[in-house]
Amino acid sequence: MEMLDHLMLGFSVASLPMNLAFCFLGVLLGTVIGILPGIGPLATISMLLPLTFGMSPVTSLIMLSGIFYGAQYGGSTTAILVNLPGEASSTVTMIDGYQMARRGRAGPALAVAAIGSFFAGTVTTMLIAVVAVPLTAVALSFGPAEYCALMVVGLVSSIALASGSVVKAIGMICCGLLLGLTGVDIYSSQQRFTFGMLPLMDGIDFVALAVGIFGFAEILRNLESGTSSRPLVGRITSLMPTRDDWRRIAGPILRGTGIGGFLGILPGGGALLSAFVSYNIEKKVSPNSAEFGHGAIEGVAAPESANNAAAQTSFIPMLSLGLPASPIMALMIGALTIHGITPGPNVISRDPALFWGLIASMWIGNAMLLVLNLPLIGIWVKLLQVPYRLLYPIIIGLCCIGVYSVSNAPFNVYMTMFAGLLAYALTKFDLEWAPFILGFVLGPLFEHQLRRTMLITGGDASVFFTRPISAGLLIVAAVLLVIIVLPMVRQSREQIFVEED
Amino acid sequence: MIRITLGMLGAALSATLLSTTSPLAAECPADFPSKPITMVVSFGAGGGTDTIARALATAIEQQQGWTIVVENRPGAGGANAAAWLKTQPADGYIIGATGTDAIAINPAISDVGYSWADFDYLGSGMQTWLGLVALSDAPFDDLQELVELARQKGRATVAVAGINQEILIKQLAEEFDVELVAIPGAGAAEALTSALGGHVDATTQGTLHVEQIEAGKMKLITSIIDRRVPYAPDVGTLEEQGSKAQPLISHTIFITPKGLQPEIATCLEQAIDEGVKAESYVKQMEAFKNEGLNLGAEGNARLARELSEFYNAMLKP
Repeated sequence: MEMLDHLMLGFSVASLPMNLAFCFLGVLLGTVIGILPGIGPLATISMLLPLTFGMSPVTSLIMLSGIFYGAQYGGSTTAILVNLPGEASSTVTMIDGYQMARRGRAGPALAVAAIGSFFAGTVTTMLIAVVAVPLTAVALSFGPAEYCALMVVGLVSSIALASGSVVKAIGMICCGLLLGLTGVDIYSSQQRFTFGMLPLMDGIDFVALAVGIFGFAEILRNLESGTSSRPLVGRITSLMPTRDDWRRIAGPILRGTGIGGFLGILPGGGALLSAFVSYNIEKKVSPNSAEFGHGAIEGVAAPESANNAAAQTSFIPMLSLGLPASPIMALMIGALTIHGITPGPNVISRDPALFWGLIASMWIGNAMLLVLNLPLIGIWVKLLQVPYRLLYPIIIGLCCIGVYSVSNAPFNVYMTMFAGLLAYALTKFDLEWAPFILGFVLGPLFEHQLRRTMLITGGDASVFFTRPISAGLLIVAAVLLVIIVLPMVRQSREQIFVEED
Repeated sequence: MIRITLGMLGAALSATLLSTTSPLAAECPADFPSKPITMVVSFGAGGGTDTIARALATAIEQQQGWTIVVENRPGAGGANAAAWLKTQPADGYIIGATGTDAIAINPAISDVGYSWADFDYLGSGMQTWLGLVALSDAPFDDLQELVELARQKGRATVAVAGINQEILIKQLAEEFDVELVAIPGAGAAEALTSALGGHVDATTQGTLHVEQIEAGKMKLITSIIDRRVPYAPDVGTLEEQGSKAQPLISHTIFITPKGLQPEIATCLEQAIDEGVKAESYVKQMEAFKNEGLNLGAEGNARLARELSEFYNAMLKP
């Protein structure tokens, strides 16, 4: 009953005309910057932050968070249509989404992304309302040992992202791991792979790298064909999912929401992991697993639901404890601080209108996004029929602006170009980049948590097996490894026997 | 009760007293500023330094009628912006907003291409009230009890964010000859998370912990700055708790490339000092649960030199 009162309070705050207007403005802006390659929600929110000083705290938070989850929607559009990830989590959506688009199924892919995100958003809003506080306790019980084990699960399952050779996938993960180490090691203050360059001290920027690897390299590859006016995608069949599609996406959306909802509350890396953990689970349990990597609709539905669910639940540690789980949440804390509200354990009880208003606005915002995005699908798909010679210069221009804005310096633009050329060359050898990206993101997190664990325990590694959550996760990782590697071993043995015959 | 270290507070107070005589109009050359001033923040938007810089910029714009554009140049713990600032013209149109740590510690760790002596110091905006905190139900209430716990258990862990905090914990471990281990991390939020989850025994924090103390989830073990912290005035300083370790002194400062004309320097110093006392700025500091504090030009230059000497001695091989 108390819960209903809270939600009523929330909706009464969120449906004030002012708040509705800024919620809409936020999700609209978010969708737009999500679609524009290279300009992420982090840059946008930090630029708009000063504009929110004049608003009431709840209005500014509603708008800023609208930008954040609106960008998740928009980001998947670019990922599906032009193979450009706005942020790490859309790397996974790209794998099958872009393949669907190339087969003329961009419409259903976009629709499923929007519907999956909406469902996930709705469920997790309820989840936050009901169990935000107990969930926080679970998140806090995740210590370095548990994170470390979780990263092992992530790294092992990233092998499964590859649709081709497993050996090459492992190679790419290792390359990603190594490049991910670039920067200053926080434990020893030693520089790694920086060549003494200041811009590399914080490591290689993710956006710069991903835009180069996926965007620029893809453009180079398409230019190869020599025809400068052919539209980007195959003939468009239908815009909405078919009845068969609906049947196929129900399970993935449900599972994706569950996984994303849980992993999202873990500070640091949870949201990214959720997208591809759910992708890998679908790849294993789906009757259509052979289709993954070639345009399986489940491969869009699962990660999109998961990453939107995680985006919503990542607010829990911020609102209930004042802990920023990501740089974006740190910005939200900054926004609240400016209004004289310090997020912390007291916010829910001291400022219930703020907390519940924000949560209700998330649901309203998600509904707005669905209404906004479904009719736009037709327009986005048409956009792809714009000839290369117009579309590509625009994309490259926008990418450069976005990458430049990361640190207001040209260094990252050079980096993007270099990454694009390198990726183009290596793709010639059938090397896949999704495992690379996951190695790049998860590797440093794994190293960080491993060293943290060892420092805390004084070098006693048994902690990984004596703590139940960590032990459980490591068992999952071991089972996954067997499932992934066994078919490969069997296959290569069969090949040997064939040759002997 | 308040112990004055390094003579800085004295300098701050005298700077404050002197400037109250000339309200809201800094003494500036006739043609300065003739165009907008850019304030370059060494850290990302939305962070502490950024908020302080923006609050001050707004206050100065209102008081002096100038236009100030705030930009962020994050990266490498403030080294990115400082190295860039050093190469800019010293004409007073570019002001860097940064921290004493970024100026004093980065050059001691690696070759970042600048040192404290490459800049002119205009003033400062706020001191970070750092503290050593633990969960409320932790089995120790002060530094000596924490040391005792480390002795009994064999080791105790303290999550830190930043080399200065790590050095402090190492000093304490050596001083009391116990295994007090600093656990470095990705930032203050991670350190606080580890402490709240009970994965470490304590943590050193600059701002996030104040709210936790007010909520009753955490308690202050010791102030680790040069005086008692206002949010927990009953808890003693390091010295009061029997430690000789060097307290952490960390201010948000405003600098320009070295070689500023004295008239322009005076003008900017006064504008900053008046800005720090502006009502809007004072309100913003209250939101931070802190207060505005300007050590003045000389006070900041002296602090930067002393901190640099200290960290060079501690960190350079």
